[in-house]
Amino acid sequence: MPVQIQYKAKDRLLKKYPKIEVCLKCNTCAIVDPVIYANGFSPTNTFINNVFSASEPEKNPNIWLCVSCHKCEEICPYEVKPVEVIEALKDEAFEKGYAPEAIREEIKQVLTTGYAFPIFQSLAYINRIRGNLGLKTLQERKIEDIKKIVNKTGLEAKIVGGKSR
Amino acid sequence: MTAKYAFFKGCFVPVRLPWVEKAAYKTLGNLDIQLVDVDEFTCCPEPVGVGIVDNLTWLAIAARNLAIAEEKNLDILTICNGCTYTLRNTIHKLNENKTLLTKVNEIIADTGHSYKGKAKVHHFVEVLRDDVGLKKLKNSVKRPLSELTVATHTGCHILSPKEVMNFDNPFDPTTLDDFVVALGATPAEYDMKTMCCGWTLMTYGAREGAYKLLGDKLSDMKKAKADCVAVICPQCFYQFDMGQWIASRKDIPQYSLPVFFYLQLLDLAMGANIEEVGYSLHKVQNLSLVAKIR
Repeated sequence: MPVQIQYKAKDRLLKKYPKIEVCLKCNTCAIVDPVIYANGFSPTNTFINNVFSASEPEKNPNIWLCVSCHKCEEICPYEVKPVEVIEALKDEAFEKGYAPEAIREEIKQVLTTGYAFPIFQSLAYINRIRGNLGLKTLQERKIEDIKKIVNKTGLEAKIVGGKSR
Repeated sequence: MTAKYAFFKGCFVPVRLPWVEKAAYKTLGNLDIQLVDVDEFTCCPEPVGVGIVDNLTWLAIAARNLAIAEEKNLDILTICNGCTYTLRNTIHKLNENKTLLTKVNEIIADTGHSYKGKAKVHHFVEVLRDDVGLKKLKNSVKRPLSELTVATHTGCHILSPKEVMNFDNPFDPTTLDDFVVALGATPAEYDMKTMCCGWTLMTYGAREGAYKLLGDKLSDMKKAKADCVAVICPQCFYQFDMGQWIASRKDIPQYSLPVFFYLQLLDLAMGANIEEVGYSLHKVQNLSLVAKIR
C-alpha cells in the first residue's frame, strides 16, 4: 500500500532531516527497538507511517516511549536517523501541550529543584537512609542559576503557556 | 598516585540508590581514586525529558555543569549512563559548533560561568578500564565471586551514538563481561543482551509492554544460568529491581533475579559483606544468591 503524504509539517521536517526520504521501510530498525513491546508501535509504524501519512503525528502518544537509545540509527542500512525525527516530533508535541504529564512534571522538577524528580516531600526519609549509610544529607541545589538560564531560553513560558493541564 | 575527579552523582543515585553512592566512595577510594564533592552541580539535565523538549536549555544547564568542573581543573566522573550521555553529547555539540558554543555561553553568562571546551567526562567504568586497568582491579579482589554467574546489562546511553560515546560495540559490548571476570565470576551468555531495560516504557505510558520486555530479558538471563544481573546505570538498576518486583506480582513469573550495581559487586569482591553493600534495601532478594557469596 503506498504511503499517503498528508503531514503538514512534512516539508519542514524533510528540509531539516533529508535522510528520512531515503527510508525503504525495510523494518530492520524494528528488530532492535525496545518500543516494539508497546502495542502498535515500531519505528516503521510510528516513524514512517505517522510522519508520512498522519496529519498530526506529534499527537501520537507512542513517540514518548522512545528512549533515544539510537539503536535504530546504528543498525539502519541506509543511515536514516529516526531518532532525530522522533525527537523533533516530541519537541513539537511539547510546545502544543500533548506531552504526557510525567514529562512535564519532570521538567518542572528540574527547573524548581535541580533534581529530575520530586524529592522534597520525602526528603526526611531519604536523609534518614543516607544518614544510616554515613552519607551527607541532601540539600537544595543551586536553582537560581537554572532560573537564570531558563529565563533566557524561554522554556518556562513553554510550560506555563502550553495547553496541557 | 591518587587520581582526582569531580564526582557527578546525578539525581537518581543520591535520592533512590544512596547505597550505590556509598559503594562508589569506598571502592574507588580503595583504588586510589579521590572523588571530590561539588555542591554546585545540578541535574545533568536528564536527556529523555529535558534534552528532547528543549535542546538549548538542556545544553546550557549541562554546559554550566561542565564549566564548574573546568574551573576546578578536574575531569568529571559519573555513575549514570544518562548523565554521561548528556554531558558528553554537550561537549560534542559545543566543541564542533562555535556559533552554538557562543550562544550557549551567552545564555549561561549570568550565572558567572563560561564553558571553555576543556572538560572531560568519564563514566566510572571507563575510569576503571582506562585509568585503573583490569590488572589493578583484579589485584584488589580479596574474595573472588567464583560461584556467581552474572548477566551483564550495559544499558543504552553509554553505547550510542557510537561516535559520541565511544565506549564499546553497541551490538556486542564486552567491557562489563571482562569486569565480571576480573572479580572471579562468570559472565552469562544470554540473547537479549543489548535490549533496553524498558525504563521509558515504564515511565511514559506503556507499563504492560515494559513488564513483557522485562519478562523476556529475565527469562533469557535465567536460561543462561545467571544468579544476578550487573548494571552500571541507576535507571537500569531500578527497572530490574523495582520493575521486576512489580511485574512479578502479576504479569511475569517470579524470576527472583537480584540486580547489583557493578560497584556493589566490586565491594563484595573487595571483602564487604552482603549487608554492607545495601542488599537489604533491594526489592528483589534471593537467599540462594547470598549463599554463593562467601
